[in-house]
Amino acid sequence: MLNSPTLMKIRMPARLEIPRIRFYLKSVLFTGILLVAAVGAGSAQSQQRISKRYPAAKNVRVELKNISGTITVESWNRDEIKLTALLESPKAIISPRQTNEALIVDVRADNRGRSDIGDVNFTLQVPVNSSVDLQTMRGQITVTNIRGDMVSAHVSSEGDITLLGITAKQVFAQNTIGDVFFDGEFVAGGTYRFQSGKGNINIRIPADSAFNLEAAAPNKKIALGQFWNNGFKSMGDGRKYVGDVIDGRSKVIVTNFQGSITFIRR
Amino acid sequence: MNCEKCQDIISDFVDGSLSREDQSLLNAHLEECLECAGVRDDLQSIIGFCQTHRGEYVAPPNEKALWQRIRNMIESGAGSVVAAPAPGKPSRISLWKNWTGRSWELSFAQLIASAAVIILVVSLSTIVGLRRYQTGESAKSNSSPVDGSLSLATADVRDRISQQQQLISFWNQRVEYNKARWSPQMRETFDRNLQVIDQAVNESLNSLSQNPHDEVSEEMLHAALNEKLSLLKEFAEL
Repeated sequence: MLNSPTLMKIRMPARLEIPRIRFYLKSVLFTGILLVAAVGAGSAQSQQRISKRYPAAKNVRVELKNISGTITVESWNRDEIKLTALLESPKAIISPRQTNEALIVDVRADNRGRSDIGDVNFTLQVPVNSSVDLQTMRGQITVTNIRGDMVSAHVSSEGDITLLGITAKQVFAQNTIGDVFFDGEFVAGGTYRFQSGKGNINIRIPADSAFNLEAAAPNKKIALGQFWNNGFKSMGDGRKYVGDVIDGRSKVIVTNFQGSITFIRR
Repeated sequence: MNCEKCQDIISDFVDGSLSREDQSLLNAHLEECLECAGVRDDLQSIIGFCQTHRGEYVAPPNEKALWQRIRNMIESGAGSVVAAPAPGKPSRISLWKNWTGRSWELSFAQLIASAAVIILVVSLSTIVGLRRYQTGESAKSNSSPVDGSLSLATADVRDRISQQQQLISFWNQRVEYNKARWSPQMRETFDRNLQVIDQAVNESLNSLSQNPHDEVSEEMLHAALNEKLSLLKEFAEL
């Protein structure tokens, strides 16, 4: 059957078409890659990148008020601040202002009354003993290895807050939708406030941490883990816990409207 | 130039420290105004007298005794006269006497300003009083802007919620006014987040309606309302 001339006639063109299809496929693939590259290059061109360095004291204060976009702050071993901003729209205006004690970047004030300016993503490298006060209306905030007096991260609407390696006397983290993660130490006499509307709050601290705690979550998802002791007072049928861990030398207030509160031993 | 300005600078004129321009202006005024010219003459004669008798002053033999005599005379005389204290001696005249003994002649402008301040204070207190009264009435008639379930909550809680709610309404209007300028993405974000907060507010209100004295629900309600207020404020200013 296979050697019949009719079948041969039918199969021959099929064999011939395979290389042609391959050629078409390759062409389409190549064109696609070219298109993707062109679009990528175009979008990269439309994004603007600003990078500036500012001389700074060891305990400089950095204030940043963003509208939308991520904020990443990390410490480095230099007495200067490096600010890098990636602007989604060229319409956005950024005018950092430096005083004797602080570097102030206020995207909201700089662009007040303007139509949408898109995301502005910030990366800041600051001296390790800096104080940072960060606000954005939307977007993630990440702060790493800061040992200044204050670390404040406020996301008005949605965005995760991650604070890693923090040793500061005042820490404040608040968002409406998103997780809050704190990994650091509570300093004696310090104040620590964490609040979320809908997200999980996880606090990772050394086993020997001493603090006075007020933790409230209406859904009763409060897990104190190893830090639980019989001195804790349960209020509202387990929706709030108040008490001291060791001698309660620092004040910790945690509020979560819909998510959980978890303490983790480091 | 008027008399007020003239009398401000006349002592500089007598000292000879005025600019040429001011000097000519002042001269022109003094030629026209007899009263100011009189002031100038008085000043010049005082200065002249002082210059002539410079160095002739001799201190009294017993200065302390003299001051004591002056004080005794003043105290035994008219009580309304306020004497200057002797150097190095603290004043014995009470603050009250000082206050009542002061001359209270007010200028026309001061009188107007005082009347305006009194009217402002009275109007403000009336408005605040009326508002408080109306708020109380509206809460009583179960027309609370938050929720009907508040009728079970305590009056104090109701008051505070009502105040917060008024602020929220104000900022809500501002947000609605500005919303059209936002990107669709921003609008969605705002609505989504407001929904989350409203859910927290409603849950707290439900708890409070079941147990009006539940402190935790009360705390959560206030925290949620503050959060809402903060969200509205920030987006209103966008």
